[in-house]
Formats: sequence, structure tokens, C-alpha cells
Amino acid sequence: MARIHVTTTINGEPMEFLCEPQQSLLDALRNNLGLTGTKEGCGTGDCGACSITFDGRLTCSCLVLAVEAEGHEIGTIEGMAQGETLHPLQRKFLEMAALQCGICTPGVLIAARALLEKNPDPTETEVRFGLAGNLCRCTGYDKIVRAVMETAAEMRETAS
Amino acid sequence: MAETASATHVRHGSSIGQPLTRRDGVLKVTGQARYAADNHPPGMLHAALAVSSIARGRVAALDVAAARAHPGVVEVMTPANRPPLAQDPDDKNGPFVFRMEALQDDRVRYAGQPIAVVIAETLEAATEGAALLAPRYEAEAVETGLDASDVFIPQMVGPGAPAEARHGDVEAGLAAAERRVEATYETPAQYHNAMEPHAIVAAWEGDRLTVDTPSQGLAWAQERIAGLLGLPPENIHIRSPFLGGGFGSKGVISGPQVLGILAARLVGRPVKLVLRREQMYGPVGHRGPTRQTLRLGAGEDGGLTALHHHVRTATSRFDDFLEPAASVSHTLYAAPAIATTYDAVRLDTGTPLFMRAPGEASGSIALESAIDEMALECGMDPLEFRLRNYAEVEPMSGKPFSSKALRECYAQGVARFGWAGRPLQPRQMRDENGLLVGWGLGTATFPALMFQGQARAVIRRDGTALAETGAHDMGQGAWTALAQLAADSLGLEIDQVEFRSGDSRLPDAGIAGGSSHTATAGIALHHAGADAIAKLTELAMADQRSPLFGAGNMGVVARNGRLLRRDDESRGESYADILTRAGLAEIEGRGTGAMDPAVPEHYATHSHGAVFAEVKIDPELGQIRATRLVGAFAAGRIVNPRLVRSQYYGGMIWGVSFALHEQAVMDKCSGRVMNANLGEYHVPVNADVPSLEAILVEEHDPHVNPLGIKGVGEIGITGTAGAVANAVWHATGVRVRRFPIAIEKLLV
Amino acid sequence: MSGDRKPASLAEALSLLAGAPEAPLLLAGGTDVYPARAVAEAWGRYAPRPVLDLSGLGLAGIEDRGDHHRIGAGVTWAALRDAPLPPWFDGLRQAARQVGGVQVQARGTVLGNLCNASPAADGVPPLLTLEAEVELASRRGTRRLPLGAFILGNRRTALAPDEIATAILVPKPAGETRSAFLKLGARSYLVISIAMVAGLLEIDSGRIAAARLAIGACSPVAQRLPELEAALIGARPEEAAALAAPEHLAPLSPIDDVRATAEYRRHAALVLLRRLLAGLAAPQAQGGSQAA
Repeated sequence: MARIHVTTTINGEPMEFLCEPQQSLLDALRNNLGLTGTKEGCGTGDCGACSITFDGRLTCSCLVLAVEAEGHEIGTIEGMAQGETLHPLQRKFLEMAALQCGICTPGVLIAARALLEKNPDPTETEVRFGLAGNLCRCTGYDKIVRAVMETAAEMRETAS
Repeated sequence: MAETASATHVRHGSSIGQPLTRRDGVLKVTGQARYAADNHPPGMLHAALAVSSIARGRVAALDVAAARAHPGVVEVMTPANRPPLAQDPDDKNGPFVFRMEALQDDRVRYAGQPIAVVIAETLEAATEGAALLAPRYEAEAVETGLDASDVFIPQMVGPGAPAEARHGDVEAGLAAAERRVEATYETPAQYHNAMEPHAIVAAWEGDRLTVDTPSQGLAWAQERIAGLLGLPPENIHIRSPFLGGGFGSKGVISGPQVLGILAARLVGRPVKLVLRREQMYGPVGHRGPTRQTLRLGAGEDGGLTALHHHVRTATSRFDDFLEPAASVSHTLYAAPAIATTYDAVRLDTGTPLFMRAPGEASGSIALESAIDEMALECGMDPLEFRLRNYAEVEPMSGKPFSSKALRECYAQGVARFGWAGRPLQPRQMRDENGLLVGWGLGTATFPALMFQGQARAVIRRDGTALAETGAHDMGQGAWTALAQLAADSLGLEIDQVEFRSGDSRLPDAGIAGGSSHTATAGIALHHAGADAIAKLTELAMADQRSPLFGAGNMGVVARNGRLLRRDDESRGESYADILTRAGLAEIEGRGTGAMDPAVPEHYATHSHGAVFAEVKIDPELGQIRATRLVGAFAAGRIVNPRLVRSQYYGGMIWGVSFALHEQAVMDKCSGRVMNANLGEYHVPVNADVPSLEAILVEEHDPHVNPLGIKGVGEIGITGTAGAVANAVWHATGVRVRRFPIAIEKLLV
Repeated sequence: MSGDRKPASLAEALSLLAGAPEAPLLLAGGTDVYPARAVAEAWGRYAPRPVLDLSGLGLAGIEDRGDHHRIGAGVTWAALRDAPLPPWFDGLRQAARQVGGVQVQARGTVLGNLCNASPAADGVPPLLTLEAEVELASRRGTRRLPLGAFILGNRRTALAPDEIATAILVPKPAGETRSAFLKLGARSYLVISIAMVAGLLEIDSGRIAAARLAIGACSPVAQRLPELEAALIGARPEEAAALAAPEHLAPLSPIDDVRATAEYRRHAALVLLRRLLAGLAAPQAQGGSQAA
């Protein structure tokens, strides 16, 4: 099978990999690159578990072909903490127990980061709708929303 | 031994009761927690399942040659070449053993049943290969729905409860009643839809097998796999450190998981098989549909005279699991006459299975609706009616409750929600936008069960300890809560205890089901720690050099890594000193967690709660929003309030989902689930979720088990589903008896 | 598949298309293509087709062309949602905010939504009220079709095998315009519509000079409501809601399905229509993208 060579940037690092023509970016991240923090929940863009950023925009990696990553910047959960230092969202999720089984958590965190980058001072409704593309079957929504709101407040304080 | 354990026993509350955050949290927020599908052993191949698109008949032909010829495909497994099993997968050789489809023949018994497995170098090649199989079928007519032919009366329901139960004379009670309500409610088939699809990575080494797969019951799974393969259980090593949700669907090993193992055997290389979301609507269980008829009688004073709860449910054509929806009527309300009865039909679906609050969830929404209907009939406030019929003892059995703080739950919930002043009649309240507002109440209940579990605790010479049990963390927080229990049992801070779990090589922790896991595994750990402490105490007391010498069994207490004389806590010594002087590297304790058989003989053991719901309804469109939920729950000792609150919240939202969102829709002709994906099988999204509050009502249960722990994982659904349904009625005056409530039914 | 291509120009894409032995799947955002494939794969129905990836054609711009706006084939819902556009696009942008989750909006394209031609396509009603045209290119040349002529039925369009849909062309309405969109689903979000309504009013001297209304998910293809549109001309905007009557919904042919009955759809469409018109009469109030 002809494999395709892809040059891309993942979490700020230049990266090259070989993939199948029809392979999803999700599958390439997980199986070719060992970045298994991005999870598969549905494969149809309905659950958000595989959320990544693609040139900074929140996207389901199951809805992107691996070859489309050529020349683009991908952000995954593995790049969210800086070394040992957790991102404020990660810290707040831990502190407020805004996670249970954890499968939706990487996608929720990536989505929440994208939301706060665009809107550092969201209303609760904006958070609820902004994260509506991320399903949580443990249904920890309430704690997730509160953790995102509190992180946003904290980050605004730090920034000012 | 028992006296020694209690004698040296340890204070509680150093770890237990603390709202510790999750110990697995860092791994989970950084993406490093390794779930089954994240494993990738060297040389691993990918398997894709081919599933049947008909619901009944046989597979007449598969183009195996085309699939095999596809580039990258290594092998195609069909009934013709599937490695042999030592047991027929259709043999029922024990309790909780379900028939499964493991390519034993060409029969198709439901849509989505595995009919072949394609194994390839890449997932893409396996998937493409599977599509090339182009199956031809001989299809037979299917039966769907609760009106199917061949109604039968089951002997048992749920995991083994008698299908018929009677207390008192229901017909006489109904005849004597001044008020009567008879109503029929329907609940649909629901699918667990854990966010993590069932996955397995299987690797063989000779006749030893290593399996990464999510499991709510490691020992059951090990036993089942060993039995099917004809190998000793110790040859099967299952790792399941994290489950991406289970809700019952990972309680028993399913056909696809066995096929992953057989695929690895066939090709002689490790194989990964992950179900696609669409493939989770067949072979991994579901909540069976029900049609429940409630007949209630009451006197002029609002006292129930009789309660008959009849359930029609459905199972598969080839195996039995019958949703025990009437069991909730055994417990909740003090009717002098109660009868629960069942009948059932057989459908061309996968076999139903336990799904979060099996029986109680479906039964509760019907019973709580009917109770409200009767309260209205009696002209009473729903809460007043429930208090009038408060069960001081379990009505069906006459046994006292081991503990029951339900009155307190009602009281705290009422206060917090602001129930007072609720108009009795419906359609009386509107908000500032003209939306109809309704308030509803539901009583929550779930039995406090225990399975049997084992644990091991080791105190080491450096003063630290190891505690281990093969427990299961589906998200509920076993890694944290059980470590807290272990630390207390050992008289140590939690950071001094290494806690191991989630592996079949560890002591059997029982099943993570029935909201029993913290009690079962926790009490096993409790006893294991106590056993280790007792041995350490004996060591010290027998040694003249020890300040504890001669203290007597009752005279020693363990705390902060030291044994102390109870009568003079200034006299004591550290675990490390005791072991060092004795020349021992470590000392080991073992413990079992199980319900004392005397407990269920004398007591009814249940958690309880009261849930209050507010909904707002668009009067012109019927669109429903749950806007406020307050649940007050009493479930004995709370090990970790932070995690418990998450469990209650989760359960409550499942309750909202039960009332308003979830259902599998069957195509009557094809027998397929028409909405077998997360786009169309609606579970609540962030934006659907109301403001939530869960009140942890204090309750001490001196009987249920030595720590007074009851369950919290399932009770949140019960009560909530009925509360939402009752709130919808209160907002609109329309009583919808089929769930989820269709918004168009609310237009008047 | 070895037949997959990602051309760098429209000319190359059209010549690849003209010479293709097997009709390739035209790929833009992929948010319909990949899920459809995933479902087909799960049921073993997947017949791989070569893909012609249009993302390299540089068609991702929204341009003001004087008398019309041109929305290129690569424009995503997110780009449209976030673009500074005149008020007649308000309805379309409200639809953009409700197409799937944020993740899907980031990839899915507006024109792809039209090409997919689902009866519940969120983009169709607002673009019908904008009297949008679809631009189709082939080696034979370029043609334009009104949206109503482009979508032929449930998942059927007028796109010829050698054609690529390259842009949506939106003419500029005259005078003061107001537009809005309402969608009703069973869940708060991430829903397939039970019914949706789009409307655009041109206001002149406090009276409705032109009205365009369309309803989706209540017929195989979203429908305009010409009789009501005619009846509204000359009315004051605040009178509009009361003028909408059941008989104006004659163009609809709703069905019973999992999501709702036909009767309910018809009822809901009228309620939504009246609310939309009431909202357009009071544009200072939030146009409101939620039905309730």
C-alpha cells in the first residue's frame, strides 16, 4: 500500500509521519504517533472526545484525514501542560473533580481551552453551548461548566 | 480474630469522609491514563468486526476471498476457521453467564451481531476488508416491540429475583379502596453508551493470555474467558486500570471481546479490536423496554390500601434478562397489600443486560408517576401523600430498615428547593417569559447490596504500606475512595499507602455493579488492614522490649503509623520499629468483604433519597427544559463527598435523560436500531443540563456492614426520572405515560 | 485509496473530474462525508470511492462583489459565523451557530451543506430567503442555478458528474433588511431539526416592501411560502406575525418520523414562523436563535 508522507506540527513540535490515504487524523495520532490522549468516542463527529485544534480551531480529529494535516498545526491534550506544569484548566478540573471516567476529559479540556482563547470572559450559557459538542456520559456537566468558569476568572485575574 | 480486629481498630475519618480529589486525576487530565484501546504491543494487528445487517436468519455467503485479497489483510475469521472453544458460548453454566455470539455458527439472532472478523496490518485495511465481505443473508421475519407474540411468564427477573411476589390481598385492598388509580406506563429500550467503546487488546504467549479490556468484573471475566478457552484462570491476565464508563455494559464479557482473543490466537500476533459506536447497539447489552401497569387503591385518608405493579418486558429470543422493574414497589410505600407480577415477550434483539439502576430506574418512573396520580386523586400534596404512606418497615417483607433517613431527605430537599406553596393543581405557574413552570417530586431508592471481595494489605518495614484489590474504576472513583478506606484501615496517611487495583492478578474485588463496589472492596480492604494491624499488635505485645508489651488485645490502637496504648497514648511505637526489631521485612493481612448473611435475614437494606425538579415548558411548542434539580440522598457513610456528589449529579442527569431524551427506536421491518449513533440516540448535552444540587444527608447505618457504607452510584436516576415526569404534568396538566416524553403530547 | 487527489487549482480539479473513470467523492469539510462513511463501514456497506479533495482550491473566501456576496466552496460555518457581514446575513449566521457543535462548525462548509441536500440542512432555509444562487463549474464552463433549482429532492442536486459547486452567490437586497432563523429540536443543542424557519424582510417607510420566508425539515426540500410573502407586502412589521395562517403552509409536506409527527411539525412551523416574524418586528430585541 502506498503510504503518504506528512509533515506537520504537533503541539509546537515539527513532526513527520506516514499514513494511509483514507486514515483519519484521529487514527494517525493514536496508532501511528502513539498520542493516545485523544480518544475515539463515536467516529462520526457527534461526541467531541477526539477534539483537537487544527490551526487553532477546535475540530474533531475523526472528521479530518491524516493527510490533511500536511503543513498545518495540530494541538492535542499531550501539549496542554508545559512539562510538569499543568494548564490552569487542568489544575481546576483536578481541584473541582470535574471529571469521572476521564474518556471525554481530554476533548473537553481542548474545547474549553479553545473557548477561553476566543472568549476569556464567557457567560455560563456561553460555556454550556460552547462545550455542547462534547458529550459526557458520566454527565459531569455541572462540575465541568463551573471549573471552566472559575478557570476563566482566575486567568483573567492573572492576566490583569 | 474478630475481637482483635475491633480491638486494635483504627479511628475513622482521617481519610474516610474527606473530599479528596481524584488520585487518578493527573493521568486523566493530561491524556496519560491508559485505557484498553490505548495499548499497542509490538507486532499488533487491528481487527474489524463485520456485523449482520439483518436481525434474524442466517448468513448464506461471505466473500472471504475478496477480503483476504485486500492489501494489508492478514486473515479473515469466520465460523469456518475460528479457533475452537472448550465451551459452547451458548452454554449457561453459571449465574451471570450470558449466551454470546462468538462465530459458533451461521445463525443471525439480532442486527449488529458479529458475523466475521477481518484482521489486518492497519485499521483501515481491516475496515476495508470487512466491507468487501458483502454478506448474503437468508432473512426471516423479525419481531420487535412489546406486543410481539408468544407472551410468557418468567420464573425469575433481574439477576435472580422471583418474578411474582405477593403480600396481603391486593384485590380485596383495591375493592375496599375509596380511591383507585390504574395507569399504564411505557419505557423504551435504552443503550448504555459509555463514552469508551468496548475495546480489547489480546496477546498470547503459548497458552497464556494477556488482555487489556475494560471490565466491571475482573474475576468473572477471567473465569468466563478461561472457561471458554479451556485454560486455568491463572493463565488469563486481564488489565483494566481505567474504564471509560461502564454503567453495566462492561459487567460481563461480550462476544466481540472473545472474538478479539480468538483473532489473536488465529494469527499468532497481538490483536486490537475496538467496537465502533454503531456496533454497540447489539452485542453489549441494553436496558429492556417495559410496559408497566400500576393499580393503586387508597382510603379517604390517603392511606394506600393496595398496590399492584405488573410489568411486561422483553428479552432476546435466545437468552433471558428481564428488567426487574417492579422491585421498587416492594420497598417504597406502606401498602398493606402489594403484588408484583411479570410477563414478557421474546424479540430479535441482543439480550438485555443490567444498565445503571436496572429495574429501579424503569420501575421508579412508573411508580412515582402513579403515586402522584393517586395523590391528586386524594387531593393531597405529593409530599404529604408520600409521608402519609411512609414505610416504617419494608412493606413487602415487614423487616425493619437497617437505616432510613428518608424523612430527613424530604425535609432538607423541601427546604432547599422551596417546595412550600406549590399549587396543588397543574398549569398554575408561569415564568417571566410566559413559559409554563412545574414542580415535581420523586422518591429515590436503591438496594444496598454487597458482592464478595478480597483484599490484601502489607505493612512494610519502612513504615509505608501496600493495599491491593482487583477493583474497577469506571469513573466513580475507586482509585481514590478505596485508597482512603485502605489508609484508614492501616492507620496511615493516604500518601503512605501504595494502592494497587484494576488487575486480575490482584485479589478478587467482586463486581463493580449494584452500587456495591465501595462497600464490598472497601470492607475487604478494611479487614485486610485490620488483619495486618492485628498481627503487628500481637508481635509487639509479645515482645518485652515493646512499650505495648502486655497491653492486651483491647488495649491497643493504631494511628499515624504507630501502635499506641489505649489507656496511655504516650506509650507506643512505630510500625517500622516493631518490624525492624522483629527482623521482618513486612507483615501481611488479608480481608474479605461480603454481607453478613444475618443482615438480610433481619434487615431491609436500602439507600433513599428525595428529588425535586423544576421544568419550564413552552406552551405553544411543548419544548421542555429541566431548569432546577435538588436531590437529597441518605446512603450511610460517605467515604468521599466530592466523588459522591459527582455520582449523584450523574445519576440525576440520567434521570432527566430517562424522562426526556433517551430511547432506541427499532425499525419494525428490519429489526435494526434506527438511531444507533450518538447524533440520534439522544443523551443530554451540556446545554440541556439544569442547575443541580445534591444534598448529602447524614445517615448512620449500624447494621448494613461494619463501616455503614451503602451505595450511591445508581440511586440518582431513581426519583429524578419520576420527579421530572411529575413536574411536566404539573406544568401542563398533561400526564404523559410513555417515556421519553414526546413534546408534542404536551400541546393542549 | 490510490485514486485520491488533492488538486491545487480549479482547472486541475475539473480536468481530473472530467477524466475520472469512476465518479469521485467531492470532499470539502468532510463533516457529512466521514460520518456517512463511518456508518457504512460499521454495517459493512462501505464501497470506497476515490476522493477529490477540494480544500486546496483556494475557495475559502467571502467576498463583497458589489451587487452580491460570493461565499466560496471552502467557507466553513465557523468562518461565516465570525465574519463581519450585513444584517441580511443574520439568519444564516444564526443557523451557523447551531450546525452541530463548535467542532463541526470549524470544518463543515456552507456549500457542502447544500450539496448534501438533507431535508434538515440548516443552511437551506436562510439561503432560500436570501435568493442565493449556486455557481457550478465544469470544463464546459460555468453556470448558476437558483438554490431552489439546485436542490432537486432528498439528497439529490442538479450537480452534473463533471461539475464542482464553487460558490454561493448572495444578491444584496434593497433598503433596510432584517433576517432571522429559528430551529426546533428535541435536545437543546446538537440536534437534527424537527422544524426550522428562516425569514428576511425588506422594510421601506415602516412597511414591508418584500418578504421571503422558508421552512425546513417539513418537506423533502425546504420550501418558500409565496402566499404569505405576498400577503405581508404593505403590512407593518408588527402586524406580520398575526397574518401568518395555517393555509400559508400549503407548500409543506411534513412526515411522521422518529423526531416528530407530521401534525406536530406543521403546528411547530407555524408557531416558529409567527415568533420569527414577531422578532423581526422588534429587531432591537435579541433576534434569538433559540426557539424557546
